[in-house]
Order: sequence, then C-alpha cells, then structure tokens
Amino acid sequence: MDLLERYLQAVKFWLPKAQKQDIIAELSEDIRSEIEEKESTLGRGLNEAELSDLLKKRGRPVFVANRYLPQEQLIGPVLFPIYRLVLKIVLACYLVPAVLVWIILMVFNSGYRAAHANVLETLGSIWSTLWFSAFVAAAAITLVFAILERVQFRSRLEDWNPRSLPAVRKNANLIPRFGSIVEIAANTFLVVWLTTYNMSSTTIFNFANFQVFLSPAWRYVFWGFLLLALVNIALAAANLARPYWSASRATIRLLSDVGGSVIFASLFKIHILTGFAATDVSPERAAEITSAINFWTGKMFAAAVVFGVIILCIDAFRIFRVKWCASPAPKSTSTVIA
Amino acid sequence: MTSESFENLRLELRRGCLVLAVLTALRSEQYGYTLRKILAEHGMAIDEGTLYPLLRRLEAQGLLSSEWREEEKRNKRFYRLSPNGKQVLKQLLAEWQSIDASLREVLKEQTNGSSRTLLTSR
Repeated sequence: MDLLERYLQAVKFWLPKAQKQDIIAELSEDIRSEIEEKESTLGRGLNEAELSDLLKKRGRPVFVANRYLPQEQLIGPVLFPIYRLVLKIVLACYLVPAVLVWIILMVFNSGYRAAHANVLETLGSIWSTLWFSAFVAAAAITLVFAILERVQFRSRLEDWNPRSLPAVRKNANLIPRFGSIVEIAANTFLVVWLTTYNMSSTTIFNFANFQVFLSPAWRYVFWGFLLLALVNIALAAANLARPYWSASRATIRLLSDVGGSVIFASLFKIHILTGFAATDVSPERAAEITSAINFWTGKMFAAAVVFGVIILCIDAFRIFRVKWCASPAPKSTSTVIA
Repeated sequence: MTSESFENLRLELRRGCLVLAVLTALRSEQYGYTLRKILAEHGMAIDEGTLYPLLRRLEAQGLLSSEWREEEKRNKRFYRLSPNGKQVLKQLLAEWQSIDASLREVLKEQTNGSSRTLLTSR
C-alpha cells in the first residue's frame, strides 16, 4: 500500500488547498474499493506490479488533480483571434523594418560594414537582439490581453453594430482596366519620345543654345528603358484583356521591375551626366553644376535602392497571393466587374 | 471521417448525456464507486477522473447533496439528488425526450425524402 500512499500524496500536491483533504479522502476510498474488488476476484492480495498497473490506468497524478481544478485560460476563445492578429502585426512591424535597416546599413554604410566584418558573429548578435525584442513584444501583448480577459473586456465586444462592418473587399487579384490603359499610354509615350528625339545619342536635348552630354553608359540605359517599355506595353495589353493577375504575368511584372529598378538605381551611381552647355553659362560654372548634380544623385542611390526593393517586395507578394492566397479568377470577368 | 474525429464527436455527444445519467442514477443514494459500476452496467461507462469532478460540480450547483458515512468499516461519501436536483432532472428529462422526438422526426423526414428522390429519379 506504500505505492497507493505515494500516489495519493502526489495527487494531493496539485490540488487546491481548501479541497485537498476532501478530494483525497474520496479518491482514496474509490481506489481502495477497486483494489478490494480485484482482490476478491483473484482470491488474494494484489502484488506491487498489479497495484502499479491499476494506478497507471488512473493516470499521472498531475492530470488526475487537474480534473478537479477550475478550467482556466489566460486568453479565452473570444479574445484569442484578436490577440493572434495583433501579435502578427506587431511582430511584422517590428521585425521587417529591423531587418531592412540592417540590410541597408550593411550595404551602404562602409563604417558599419567594417565594424561587423565577421558575418556569422554579426548574424548571431542580430538574431539574439531580434529574438529578445520579439520575445518582449510578444510577452507585453500577451500580458495586455490577459488583463483584458480578466476585466471581462469581451463583454464590451458583444455590443456591436452590423452597419459599422467594413465594405466588401474587391478581389485582390483584379487589375483595374484604367490602370492598364494609363500604363499603355505612358509607356507608348516613353517609346515614342526615346525613339523620335534620337535619345540613343550621348548628346540629348541637342538645341542651338542648350545641350546635355551623357556618359557612354547611357546607351545601355537607353536600350534597357526601351526594352522594358515595350515589355510593359505588352503586359498592360494582356492585363487589359484579362484583368486578373496570373502567376505568369505576375512573374513577368517582377522580372520587368527587377530590370527597371537596377537601371533606375544605376542612374544615380554611374555619373551619367558628363556635362551640359548653355549660352549664358560659362564652361567652369557648367562643370561645377554637373559635379554637384552627380554628387547629390550619388547620395540618393540608397533611397533609389530602397524604393526598388519595396517595389520588388510588392511584386513578390503579388505572386505569393496569386499562387496561394486568393480565390481563382472567375471565368466570366463581366460577372465580377458588374 | 477519421476515427479521431468520430471519437471527439462521440465524447461531445455523451458529455451532456452523462449528466443526465448521473442525476437519474442518483435518485437513490450511491457512493462514487457503486455509482460508477451502475452506470457501466447500463452502458454508460465513465472514468473516475470525470465522475468525481462532475459530482462536485453538480453538488456545488445544488443539484446533489452528499454526506460522509461509515460503511463496512470505511468512510464513504454518499450522494443523492437534492430537491432542487429532482426538479432540474424532471426538466432535463423532458428536454431530452423533446430532442429525441425532434431528431426522430428529422430522421423520418430525411428517410422519406430520400425514398421520394429515389422513386422520382427512377
């Protein structure tokens, strides 16, 4: 019976103080009744292995005691979906900008890069900082929601007005036709401008009293922009005909924007402007202005890269949404547009 | 349907019926162990980890009364239905019969509907 006493003691440990004796007395009586019945069937006393087996079937002491405890929850089912959403938003709003800032510092700040030359060590230090901060943020949100649960905040949520519900969202994969038309018009204008005014030359705006001189690298930029404008016209035309993003068209948009972002950002770095000539500006003054323009465009390179990365993130998210999130496009587009 | 899903639904279905079975069985005085045996003999097996907390809850709600008494040289806690419990049991049984009748009606209608559909399709 030593085993039974040990079992009862273990259960007792987890029970609420006020009910310990009462529950243990009843549980003890129930187990003794079962033992008695088994002994009477067998015609002998139970050995330790049989008693151990009987107690094992009753369950681990903490589980047995748990059934007598009031059912408690830190955050109940009413507040839990809101808690989960807030947690996701806060973590995303904290972690994503933190990672972006780190990438920008590593790419553009030579001092920071030199101070963090050991990549593995840097990653470890960033991971531990991020992890700790995310943990603190999650703990704070959990605490707030646990308090809301305790103060019965959910009862306030029960009072609501159906009229205050947000409007039905449009299909996220729908491409506005107006947008496609504007895209075709803008890109057509670009193609016409680039091809009509001899923009492939390194001397553009070639007027009698004003000329702008570009570096030879401009030719690559020119052909790049021209090619991308043609791709964008074709894509916008396809989008106009079928105004729902498909995985293939979303991928083409991503590739096109990769090209566009690289060319656009490079414009800020390669000192594309080599000079200009104007009748009322001296060559020395023109050289000074050119140098200042190149200096400031060089400074804006980081902003151009960030801008490009944001666009590419949006494009990548669109592919993800098309493939895994949104409902498929309806067969008849008129049904949705109506 | 997986056996796990079925088991969860079965337990959910039985949970409400167990309260009814316990209250019905306690129209006559019982202590925990004999109550468990009686229920098991009638096909309503319930493990002790569920029964004793349930008895405590029902007692806290005033549906059962209990007393410790010595029997066969051992102290046992005997439970029986309280006057309030008798009243609630009566209402619960009426409710259960109403649910049973409704379910039978739905089943009957569904069966007839299926037969009609089959006949029409032929």
